[in-house]
Amino acid sequence: MNFIDYLAEREDVLSPGISACVGCNVELTLRTVLKVLGANTILAIPPGCMGGVGVVGWKRTTGTRCPVFFPLLDNTASMLAGIRLGCERKGREVNVVAFAGDGASVDCGFQALSGAAERGERIIYICYDNEGYMNTGFQRSGSTAKGSWTSTTPVGPARGGKAQRKKDFPMIMAMHDLPYVATASPGFLADLVGKVRKAAEVRDGMAYIHVLNPCVNGWGFPPDRSLEVARLSVLTRYYPLFEVERGRFRLTRDVPKPRPLREFVGSLRKFAHLTEESVADMQAEAEMRWARLKALCGAAGGPDEGDGGKVGGG
Amino acid sequence: MTTVQVLSGNQAAAIGAKLCRPDVIAAYPITPQTPIVEHLAQMAADGELTASLCEVESEHSALSVLQGAALTGCRTFTATSSQGLSLMYEPYFRTPTLRLPIVMVIVNREMISPQTVWGGPQDSLTLRDAGWVQLYVEDNQEILDTVIQAFRIAEDRRVLLPVNVCYDGFYLSHMTERVDVPDQSDVDDYLPSSYEPEHILLDPERPMSVDPLTPGALLTEYRRKQVLAMSRAAQVIKEADASFGRKFGRHWGGPVSAYRLADAEFALVTLGSMTGAARVAVDEARDRGVPVGLVKVRSVRPWPATELFRLLKDLRGFGVVDRNVSFGWGTGIIHQELRATLSDLGRPVPSVAFVGGLGGEDLTVDLMTKAVRTVVEASRRGGTATCPTVWLSGGRGR
Repeated sequence: MNFIDYLAEREDVLSPGISACVGCNVELTLRTVLKVLGANTILAIPPGCMGGVGVVGWKRTTGTRCPVFFPLLDNTASMLAGIRLGCERKGREVNVVAFAGDGASVDCGFQALSGAAERGERIIYICYDNEGYMNTGFQRSGSTAKGSWTSTTPVGPARGGKAQRKKDFPMIMAMHDLPYVATASPGFLADLVGKVRKAAEVRDGMAYIHVLNPCVNGWGFPPDRSLEVARLSVLTRYYPLFEVERGRFRLTRDVPKPRPLREFVGSLRKFAHLTEESVADMQAEAEMRWARLKALCGAAGGPDEGDGGKVGGG
Repeated sequence: MTTVQVLSGNQAAAIGAKLCRPDVIAAYPITPQTPIVEHLAQMAADGELTASLCEVESEHSALSVLQGAALTGCRTFTATSSQGLSLMYEPYFRTPTLRLPIVMVIVNREMISPQTVWGGPQDSLTLRDAGWVQLYVEDNQEILDTVIQAFRIAEDRRVLLPVNVCYDGFYLSHMTERVDVPDQSDVDDYLPSSYEPEHILLDPERPMSVDPLTPGALLTEYRRKQVLAMSRAAQVIKEADASFGRKFGRHWGGPVSAYRLADAEFALVTLGSMTGAARVAVDEARDRGVPVGLVKVRSVRPWPATELFRLLKDLRGFGVVDRNVSFGWGTGIIHQELRATLSDLGRPVPSVAFVGGLGGEDLTVDLMTKAVRTVVEASRRGGTATCPTVWLSGGRGR
């Protein structure tokens, strides 16, 4: 079945009235994830964009058809571990799901996430990475790209954006030897749908999916380019799409002829101050990470052939 | 029927927790609480404990795991001390505001710095306004009995608040005493068989949005209800203790316990394990003809203002022995709470603030005797003003 027909048949678990920014692809990502997982889901939305736009609700309203709650910014995985234990005690088979930003995952939420991963807690953890604390005005996170402007790494005569590299977080999670780790993009929705379905099938530990979500306001590009920028992040090798099933690395979309990184970087206001030399550094870093990933994929790690537009299976 | 055993405080706490049949336990080891985690793990390994154990990576996660489990309707238990409690502060405050009836033992340990691992309730008393019911106990039997009572208090629909059972590290946690261990069937009779929440629950069959963004006026309503629940806890603590007494033949006085106070003109006020030494000092003073009694505070939250006023209002003077410091006031915390109680109720009885036993230093009978003497002398000098804080210490550190 074509993934669009598949999604059209699924129940929309997220309210149509979510107040996300114009052009926000995180809302699209969450809506898609919840369509795949269905309403038999307990959903954690830690403080961040999706909490701010009303997914958990406001006053006495709610944003979803499934049970949803705010964990703390830094205990999402731990609360979900308790919820899974509780559901097991009560004999309830439920999707236990985090939909957490990069701040809540790669920064202060990392201890809880790493602990839950190590213990093999049966959680579907989805990190929407918009490279900063975007709900509160674009502050730096450990997932912000090197050189990026943020409100806490401003650009001036003495300093030029974030000084450090972006944490390679999907790789860090892969090194926990989870049953399933993947990267995904709202620009490649069929790929995302297939990965969420695989994550839902994991029974013996954590499934972790990292989604790169370009942020219209924080990154600085027009709303109508939201998915185009997401696609560019993949097609320039800035953000490779891959999955790791029980230690087996596999590119889910090879990029044999990458577009120049300048096309991605040059389309974003947060990088407007970068020199050619800085962009060349970014390109070199992307190539290094790509080569490392290819090495991990090894001989058996070729791309899936002909999965375009289809719903990924097991 | 009961069995008589020789148990450390931590063993008593672990056995008490086991008898309450929790669904989920998550705990992270820290001195002096560590043996509780070891005992529970061993019970699980031996098949005596049916709870699901979560071997978390921190105290922050321990309480967070329990919040998740409680949100699915599970009975839960954990334990911690000092720095672990501090790390836990973020979910700690949120446990009562979510109205989750989690029971947590706090094996009281002094806060650093200077570096220390020994006993003292500075850790939990500093957090007394974070919304938990806090009960402080004196010996190992009281630990076991109060853990059982704690679940009944926490899960009572008039309360639905988390409960701390607090006791001094090492003095109780690692010392052994005779403890009567109740039969499982009697505890089953005393406690409801399970915790069945209706007010807050995560279950796809009854979808609920838990803790959406809340405007101030609505938040105020939640706070007011939480305050009322804490007030109602005072009565529930008494009922739980009285009911326990009828079932097991032991009761602990509810929120406060008085000793030789009926004809007393002076009193010492104590908290936790120091009460034993104070009781001996009171007996010895009585032998010398000094009309002194003792008040042991068991419930710090809710604060038993009415009971304490009734016990202290007609005294000529009292002294509060605090194993902790309120840095803003320069006295101990319990002393200030008592001053507020008596002043609010219009009876400023003269009192002396003692601070001692810090960092686990022994509060000996001699020091308690000195406290009694100081109270009597200060009261005879007259006036209602509080004299400067008296530091009870062996003094070798000076």
